[in-house]
Parts: sequence; structure tokens; C-alpha cells
Amino acid sequence: MNEILQYTVQGLAAGSFYALAALGLAVIFGVLGVVNFAHGACYMLGAVVSALLLQNFGLGFWPALVVVPLIMFVFGILLERLLVRFLVALDPLYNFLLTFGLSLVLVDLIKRQYGVSGLPYTRPEILSGQVTVGDVRLPTFQLFVFAFSLVVCVLVWLLLTKTRIGMIVRASTERPELTRALGVDVGRWVTPVFGFGIALAGLAGVLAAPFRAITADMGSNFVIILFAVVVIGGLGSVLGAVVAGFLVGLVEAFGQAYAPTFAQVVIFVVMALVILVKPSGLFGREESR
Amino acid sequence: MRHKTTTAAAAALSGALLLAACGQAGPTAQTGEDELTDGKVVLGVLNDQSGVYKDLSGPNSVEAVKMAVEDYKAEYGDDAVATEIEVITADHQNKPEVANTKAQEMYDRNKADAIFDVPASSAALAVATQAKENKKLYFNIGAATTELTGAQCNKYTFHYAYDTYMLANGTGKTVTEQGGTNWSIIYPDYAFGQDMTKSFTTAIEGSGGAVVEAIPTPFPNDNFATFLTKAAASNPDVIGSMQAGGDLINFVKQYNEAGLRDQGIELAVGLMFITDINSLGVDQFAGTTFTEAWYWNYDDENREWADRFMEITGTRPSFAHAANYSAAKQYLDAVQRAGTDDADAIVSELQGYKVNDVFLRNGEFRAEDNRVVHDAYLAKVKDEASVSEDWDYEEILATIDASEAFRPVEDSIAAGCNLGS
Amino acid sequence: MTSAPTTITSVAAAANHLASRRSPLRWVLLAVGLLAALSLPWLVYPPLAMDIAAWALFAIALDLLLGFTGLLSFGHAAFWGGSAYVTGLVAINVGVPFPVAILVGALFAMLLAVPIGFLSVRSSGIYFAMVTLAFAQMLYFFANQWRDVTGGENGLQGIPRNFFGIELIETDPFYFYYAGLPIVLLGMWAAWRIIHSPFGKVLVAIRDNPARASALGYDVQRYKVMAFVMSAGLAGTAGGLFSISHGFASLQELNWTTSGKVVLITVLGGIGTLWGGTIGAALVVMLEDWLATSGFEGIGIITGTVFVIVVLAFRRGIWGTVRDLKARFRSRT
Repeated sequence: MNEILQYTVQGLAAGSFYALAALGLAVIFGVLGVVNFAHGACYMLGAVVSALLLQNFGLGFWPALVVVPLIMFVFGILLERLLVRFLVALDPLYNFLLTFGLSLVLVDLIKRQYGVSGLPYTRPEILSGQVTVGDVRLPTFQLFVFAFSLVVCVLVWLLLTKTRIGMIVRASTERPELTRALGVDVGRWVTPVFGFGIALAGLAGVLAAPFRAITADMGSNFVIILFAVVVIGGLGSVLGAVVAGFLVGLVEAFGQAYAPTFAQVVIFVVMALVILVKPSGLFGREESR
Repeated sequence: MRHKTTTAAAAALSGALLLAACGQAGPTAQTGEDELTDGKVVLGVLNDQSGVYKDLSGPNSVEAVKMAVEDYKAEYGDDAVATEIEVITADHQNKPEVANTKAQEMYDRNKADAIFDVPASSAALAVATQAKENKKLYFNIGAATTELTGAQCNKYTFHYAYDTYMLANGTGKTVTEQGGTNWSIIYPDYAFGQDMTKSFTTAIEGSGGAVVEAIPTPFPNDNFATFLTKAAASNPDVIGSMQAGGDLINFVKQYNEAGLRDQGIELAVGLMFITDINSLGVDQFAGTTFTEAWYWNYDDENREWADRFMEITGTRPSFAHAANYSAAKQYLDAVQRAGTDDADAIVSELQGYKVNDVFLRNGEFRAEDNRVVHDAYLAKVKDEASVSEDWDYEEILATIDASEAFRPVEDSIAAGCNLGS
Repeated sequence: MTSAPTTITSVAAAANHLASRRSPLRWVLLAVGLLAALSLPWLVYPPLAMDIAAWALFAIALDLLLGFTGLLSFGHAAFWGGSAYVTGLVAINVGVPFPVAILVGALFAMLLAVPIGFLSVRSSGIYFAMVTLAFAQMLYFFANQWRDVTGGENGLQGIPRNFFGIELIETDPFYFYYAGLPIVLLGMWAAWRIIHSPFGKVLVAIRDNPARASALGYDVQRYKVMAFVMSAGLAGTAGGLFSISHGFASLQELNWTTSGKVVLITVLGGIGTLWGGTIGAALVVMLEDWLATSGFEGIGIITGTVFVIVVLAFRRGIWGTVRDLKARFRSRT
């Protein structure tokens, strides 16, 4: 029983990274119809930028949680303005290819600049210990990651459902044709939403910094699992991205516990099953695939 | 059918042209230099200069080989047999097929007499095959697989520095003898991790310890929380991690986060490079034990060499850098002794040769399996407080004698190594 | 760009349109192409020439799917790599001449493509790309685990090049190239035959308007699966030849970066041009080779930048852009 609790917390903590990043992927897909292959690279940049801020300016984890997403937001806006927008009118596959090329460049630039062995990062003291529940010891940091990302996801959800901007974004995410047909100017929200999606990937990177190896390659495998997450959740669905993110985290944790070697394969098996039963994903609708 | 004959004709024609071209471009033997094939000695350094092995070996290993060339020239001056020495290099980008083609090209086109380094097992095994087919030397440093001195050993391939047996034997045996009897091993489920686990288990059990749990993990993997929970559940004295590179950093961060050291569960690591400690910071690794092939701050001789290395590269050497230097120097010395760079003559000069240099302590080029054995060291990462200068991260706990550090000859032969064939 | 194409299919359609125009130049081009193929090992290092030929066939296989069926597979490494392993295993364990081993490898790739294709074609567009990527990744994990058979991380080493005991071909990469080239040319010819067959016309119709093709009574899903399987077979042929040429098969062959590389080659050469892949392969393989000794760290910076520029400004790829210019020049005179 104790193990089950531990695995669950671990799964939700691991899922937090997927949920945050997949949420970013989903909103970008929503307004632009673009799947951002460079999302893994942006997650990596989030972690690398946190490490650099700590190293050069002594800026710790807490301020980084705010500063790094802002930096990534600006980076995302630049990306959209300088590259992505020129292909938006075309087949979305072109932007998929563009961001693929971009991720090659970003990863190798970081490698060239900062080496391959990774960057150091100090954990915030307050999150270093363990919390004891009954006779189960749970790392504080895992609990924090889960709680924090859950709060962010809920906030984003409120933003999308309770504000006018959110309504437009969500409407164009889930019913793109209809939204445009109603004469809503989706165009002016494209750039900030793209930046916002990138910022979410960056935020996942900040959370990973104290917890995982900060290397140029850290996003390469991550993005592939992220694709499985959005396929399972349904690309067009914001809720689907979050739920599938946590779900995949749990599948990973329990897979690791009971079929260690096949933990990652299990994720893809789940994905194959979802495609077989419901090709548009758990929360996707038929027309949005 | 007609197409086929055209191709054949074209092939024949091109072959004739090629032979003619070679004949023309081939070296005309000059008097006084005919002991060298092609009139010069060419050393090829083939390694990963842009991927995961870049920092621990990479471009700085090329510098190390160049240092060996300088030292050779300084040592023998006008008496040097190798009057002209060229160092060439290529980045295999951590792709075995690039390594394969580049090795072939180095031997075949660039007239390389010996190739050094080549990290990643698949790349190293491919290059070993090229060495065998081209009958030229290969000194492996970067790859850890014991296949190179086992089923896939060959006359022209020497295995320098480390391998999975040596890493596991040193740490497994010594830590168990010092009281860490119950082990949980967490290993990446691919060739390297499986071999390490097997060797660790043998070493631990041979010293009276027990492996209570061995848990395979995916590779690569960035989330070890569940594995750590499982490993800790059996209350071991030591958790042995066979992860390497970025995965090792993930592992250590999460081991610290889970607070296992406070529960009295120590960490031993299968493979660690000083560059790993440098990148993660010494406090994260403090107290971790592992086997070192060489440490720059071990004694004055090492330190002196490391100072020279630092002047050139601006950083401290890993054991791979020192091993590349040593292999190149030993090769050139063998050329000097043999009076030629003929590969077969060098092999018979090296096999059975015993030597001491900055890297090889009690070194021997074993004739039976081409394993180059030397003293190895059990190291412990220092506390941050006791680090007195940059890169001063390790405390050497014990020296493992050359005769015990590596896989015994009988085991190499039992694994299928037969240099005679 | 005069008329900006809006979809991958319209780029491909434009390319197909030009391709179908008959001209005496075709024969000149064919002759030049064959001459280039035959003289390649004189111009570049022979093992590298074989790499170029294998990647060219791989790119053409991908273009069959991308340019002529409108499906972007980001998991074609599964077929290239799957066949590389099977070809190697057959060559090692059975000792047949290498073309036979490659044939078995290619058949395996086609067999593998049936379930993957069946599941993948249920989605289209970006989904298809991600789903195929995930399946290829699965295969990668299996090859990594199944060490007894594949050699795992060490790779499958020591694959022989049996060829009826003809020593020159078995040992010298220069002569081996001429033994391997006919297989590549045969594969290319097959691709050309497929797209010019009635079956190929149906594929193009599906690509341009799936609804209409469906209304005309074609089983769209089935055609897509068949195209997928054929493409996999050609990719497998290329992968098998690659492993024979190198004498080993490694996990690299199944890695997603291999899928990415072949997409890069195809887009660079020109989607829907079929032959563009040859140019793309020559460029990318030579570039990687040059970068290996250039001392420049960070190959991805260069290949990635080139790719971004091509996607932004030359979506027709090199082959398509050149043909476009030629056509414009001709219409002016």
C-alpha cells in the first residue's frame, strides 16, 4: 500500500512535466494548427537558462519560476514573428519541419556553447527534504512539482474559460473553422499565444532544473513522449493534454515499478490502443484530427 | 543483361584507372626512410567531438596525442626513427557508421598507422574490424566493452584504459570488503549496463557480499524516482548505479532528493568521469565511490603532466586524455624500438611488453588478449569543504594492483578471444 | 516564388505536373544520372558513394509516400533499421549472397509495415507523422532490449558481404559499389514504375482529394496502407544494403534521428520530384563527411539551418526549384 502511494506521487510528479509542456503544445496547435517539434528544445532551454541565471547572476529557483517563462515568452514571440508566421498559411507540416530543423540548431548551439556534460544547479534548501505521511517518506520536491503544475494548469484553464482572450483562444482551438466564420479576429492572438506555449515548455524546464540533468539533449527524448501524450489526449483538446500528461506520468511510474524495462514501451502501447479505439484521442473530436 | 555488362565493363575500367592512379601517387622509396611505410608515421584520433563524449575525451584527446608526439621528438631528437609524424583527426559524431567509414578512410587513404580512442562500443567494435581487415593498429580507449578482448578481439586491437570488468571489479570488491555487503543495483537495460551488473555481481559475491536486488531501467531515462523507491525497499547498504553520462546526473540528483544517504544507504557508481563531477558540482556527488583508471592529482608525476595539459587546453585531464597520450607515446616508442612502423613488427614489439609511464603504472601489454593492464584506483568524491582547488574532487581510497584490476586472461579466452587465428 | 504553394500536396502536384511533360531532355537527364551513378566511386570515397546511393533510395522511398500519397512518415527508420538488422542476421546465419539477404530484409520491412501502416493511416497530416514516429521508437526499444539477437548497444557486428566468392567485391568497397548499385537502380526503377502505374494515379488522386477518391469507389485506407508497405519495402532495401556495406547494423539505424535525416534529404531534394532525393542524399552525406574532419563542432547547426532555409524559401527543394526555373525560362522564350 505504501508503495502504491509513493508510485502515485512519483507518477504525478513525472506527469507534471508532461502536462505543462503538452498544455503549451496544445494551445499552440490550437491557434496555429502547428505541432511544435522544437518544444523539447524549449523545455531544455528553460532549464539551461535557469542554470545560467543562477551561475551568472545568482538568480535562484524561485525568481527563475517567473523570470525564465518571461524570457521564453519573448523567445517564442521572436520565433513566431521571424519564422513560424511565414508558413502559417501553408500546410501545417511545413511548420512541423521548420521546428524540427530549429530544434537541431538549438540543441547543437547549446552543446557548442556549454559543452555536453551538463550544467550544475543547486536545489532550493526548503524543497530538499522529505515529507513523512504515516510511515511513507515522500520527497518534498515531488509534491511541490505536482502541486505547482496543477495550480498552473488550473490557472491556465481559468484564463481560457473565464476571460475573453481565453474564450477566443479556446474557441479557435476547438472549433477553428466556426470561430473564423463568426468573424473573430484570431490573428492578433496568434503571436502572444505562441509565446505563451513556449513559456509553458520553459516553465517545465525550470521545474526540471533542480531535479534532472541539464544537458542539451534533455529535450530530445522528452519531445517524443510528449507527442505520445498529445496523441493520447487528442491534439485539439486543452483538457486532454493535461489529463493525458498526468496519465502518462502514472503509466510511466507504475510501468517502471512492475515492468521496469518496458516502462517506455508501455506508453507507446497505450498510444497504439488509443489510436485503435479512438483515433482522435481520448478528448479529441473526430473533425479535429 | 546489357546493363549488367556495361556495369562490369565500367567497373573493370575504373579499377584499372584506380590502380594506375595509385601507382603514380604512391610514394617513391627514399633512402634512409624505407623503414617507414609511406615515409611517415600517421596517427589518427577518431572520436566524438560534438556529442556526449566530447568533454571527457573529444578534441582535447587530439591535443594529448600531439603532446605525445612532441615528447617523442624531444626524447629521441636526431635518432628518431619516425622522422615525420602526422596527427589526423575526425569527429565520428557518435555514429558507428561514420566511425566505420572514417576509420576505413584513415587506414586506406590517409595511410594512418594507428587509430586512437573511438568511444561508444558499437563504433569501437566496427573500428576493430577495420583494423583487423586493414592489418593496422587500433588502440581503443573510449569504449568499455570487454568484447574487444573477448569474442571480437584481434591481433591489431589493443584495449587501453578501462572496461566494464575493471570498473565493476574495483568498486564491487573493495566496497564490499569495506563493509557494504548488501547491494541494490540499478542498471540501464542495454549491453553496457547488463555487462556491468554481471561483473559487479561476481565481484560482490566473490567478496562475501550479496546483490539483494538488480533493477533494470530504460535507457535513456530521466526519471529514477520509482526505481530508487524499489531499491531502497530492500534496505541495502549500498545502491550501485550503472548509469552513465546525463542519466547518471539524473540519477544522482534524484538519489539526493530522495534522501537515501540520510537513511544510511551509500551510493556507488559504475562509471564516472571527472567531467561528470565538474558539471554537476562536487556537493551532489560527495561521498560517492567509483573506480578510476587514473587521477590527475594522484602524485607529482601525474600533476606535472596535468599542468602541461592545462597550459594547452585550459582544463584538467580526464583519464581518457591521459590514456590517449600514453597510447600514442607507447606506440611511438615501439616504433623506435622496432626501427619500423610495420604493423606486425609493432604488435610483436608491444605484446608482452612491461612498462611504467604517467598513465600506465605496472603496465603490461598482455600478449594473450591484447588487454593493456595497469593499476586502477578506488576513488571517493570529496566533500565540498575539503576541495582545495578547481578539479580537486577525488580522494584515492585504494590502489588496485594491475594483476587484479582487469579480467584474468583465462576469462578472456573463455569469452572467445583467440589472437592466434 | 511566383505562385506560393499552400500545401505539401500542391508543391508535389506542381512537381508531378512538370515531371509528366515529355521532352527529349528526359533521356539526356537519365544518361547524366546513370553516368553520375557509375562514376560516383571515382569522385568520392567508395564506401561514401555507397552511402549516398543507399540514402538516395531511402529518400525516394519516403517521397513515394510524402510526395505521391501526401503522408509524412516520421518513423521510416523502423523499416530502414528493421531491414538492416534482418539483412545482417540472414547474411551472418545463412551465408547467402548479399542480394538475397537484402531481399529478405526488405520483405521483413514490408511485413512490419502492415500493422504499423494499418494503425497509422487511421490518422493523417501531423497526427500521422507523430504516430509513425512513436511506432519507430517502439521498435528502437525492442532492438535495444533484445540483445541476444541484435547485439543491443554493441550493434550487430561482423556482417559478411557474401557474393558468390568473388573476392574483389567481397573485400574492396570500390567493386562492392558496382555490385550494390544495380539493387539501388532496381529500387529506383520500381518506385518510378509504381508512380506511373494506374495504382500510382489513384494514390495521387487520394492525395489531392481523398473525399473524391472515396466517392469514386476507391478504398482510400487500403490504398494508403499499400503505398505505405511499398515505401517500407524500398526503404528496407536501402537499409539492408547499408548494413551490408558497413558490415554491421547499429541502433543508430532505428533512431528517430535517422527518420529525421531522410525527411531532411527528401525535402532538400524536393518533395514529389522522386529524383530529388538523389541530390539531397549526395549533399547531406557529403556535408556530414566534410564536417567530420572540418573541426567544426555542431553539425546540427549547419544541417538545421540549411533545412530551415529550404522550408522557408525553397519549398520545392533543389530539384523542384531548378525545374521550376527551367520551366519559367522556357515559357518566356
